[in-house]
Amino acid sequence: METVLSTDKLTKYFGKLCAVNRLDLEVKRGQVFGMLGPNGSGKTTTLAMLMGVTNPTSGNFTWFGEPATHHTRKKIGAVLEHPIFYPYLSGQKNLELNALIKGVDPARIGSVLELVELAPRKDDKYRTYSLGMKQRLAIASALVSDPIILILDEPTNGLDPMGIAEIREIIKRIAAEGKTIILASHLLDEVQKVCTHFAVLRKGNLVHSGPVDDVGKGEETVEVIAYHDDLSHILHEFRGSLSVKNENGKFTVHLRENFHAIDLNKFLFEKGIIASHLVTQKKSLEKQFLEILQESQDVSHKM
Amino acid sequence: MLHLLKIDLKKMTSYRTFWVVCGLYFVTLAFTTASGMEFLKWLAGFIQGFGQSININRIPLYHFPDVWQNLVYISGLFKVVLAIMVVISITNEFTYRTIRQNIIDGMSRSEFLLSKILTNVLLSGVSVVMVFLIGLVTGLIYSPEVRLVEVVTDLEFFPAYFLEVFAFLSYALMLGVLVQRSGLTIILLLLSNMIEAIVKVNVPEAAGWLKDVFPMQSISNLVALPFARYAFQEIQDYVSLTALAIAAIWAFLFNYFAYLKLKKSDI
Repeated sequence: METVLSTDKLTKYFGKLCAVNRLDLEVKRGQVFGMLGPNGSGKTTTLAMLMGVTNPTSGNFTWFGEPATHHTRKKIGAVLEHPIFYPYLSGQKNLELNALIKGVDPARIGSVLELVELAPRKDDKYRTYSLGMKQRLAIASALVSDPIILILDEPTNGLDPMGIAEIREIIKRIAAEGKTIILASHLLDEVQKVCTHFAVLRKGNLVHSGPVDDVGKGEETVEVIAYHDDLSHILHEFRGSLSVKNENGKFTVHLRENFHAIDLNKFLFEKGIIASHLVTQKKSLEKQFLEILQESQDVSHKM
Repeated sequence: MLHLLKIDLKKMTSYRTFWVVCGLYFVTLAFTTASGMEFLKWLAGFIQGFGQSININRIPLYHFPDVWQNLVYISGLFKVVLAIMVVISITNEFTYRTIRQNIIDGMSRSEFLLSKILTNVLLSGVSVVMVFLIGLVTGLIYSPEVRLVEVVTDLEFFPAYFLEVFAFLSYALMLGVLVQRSGLTIILLLLSNMIEAIVKVNVPEAAGWLKDVFPMQSISNLVALPFARYAFQEIQDYVSLTALAIAAIWAFLFNYFAYLKLKKSDI
């Protein structure tokens, strides 16, 4: 797959503080790439360097395999940190200005305003918008040029649950069109729900990078409900069971490595038991994330 | 180039403050420059109170070619209004952080600065046209006889006036880029002449020529005060090439310093 973004030992110091340390990232076309990390881990600084507003202390990066110039930035739609617009201009005028800077036909403005459901308010001044509307206008502005790649930095920051759901829907819709998306967030749930790949930053260091689907590989946990008096005993009999817990008739079985729900199901069936409920619990990204951070902390303590 | 100018004008033309300030600038400029005869009448009345009399019709304030230098000099006093507008325009970009988004959207830092400089060129140009038209109209009204050779005499004051306004607007733009906060920038802008005067006082007598090299001085050296000629004093009724050169160098430097600052800073 074509590489869209690649960074090579990208580093930024603010005085003595190392905000980003020798970062190597690779994003390929069509990925929805989540950048995870606690606040202050260097996500925004990294994106600011990639978008030319912060000068790197050292290191390089390429967009679309070429060294970055302001021309490559025109092919990218990006919103960093907060939505930034001219408060005295209307939403429509702000987008016209974006289109003018990007040198694209303003014809798409109408349709992107529809997409983010701002069309009825497009002629009102930006400063009259609610936070959710500002965030949605920011996404609209990133889409005006029909970019190949979209960068969103904390797009749901400060929104209420409904606003978060709306933005998430919009991101999914855009991803479905096949656009590459880089999404920085400290909300793990958000990244797990929309991303295909993710990287974890901690104090400017890359501590993990890989596909989201790999999360939850390793030992599985399976929930089982079946009407059988001796279920607990039978579950313990299963070769793959590491531990069995019973909560109000719902059994949670931790499996050994290389055992899966399908093996358990087969085993139960052979015993003549038909489960009415059998669910593999995906290990949440949150758990994985905390593990990764914990590991990296241990490593840095040892060093 | 035109594309960059269009971007900056797009920002300004929907900004009410821009129209209010520019409107005030051009209206006060037009009224002030066109009401010289009214001022002379008032002055005559005032002097009459002291038992003296002057014949205002013998003061050729609006006669060709005097009108050019007279109007250009007076108009030069108003450039600070435009400069404040320039400060507001650039510091807004920093306060709203829109400069950051402009660059994220695909402008280079130099393109961003150039779009502001081009607006300064446009504002200076419009000022020149405005003053020229007022001069032409009032000259045609008040000159006892209109001779083409007199109408086209002393037109070199217009390039000088253009440079005067442009250099000062460049200075305002640079201050805005360096300071980034509107209030402080405007105060510094207004105090510039004062600060420079304090420094100049300390220049030793032997290096007196240095005084003409100071930025604010070089800008005001472009067009000399003309009115002393009506009190039978010698005045500089031409544009000095040295003054033009020094002011042009400053105009370049102001914009270059702004460029250097933008280039190396994180936005």
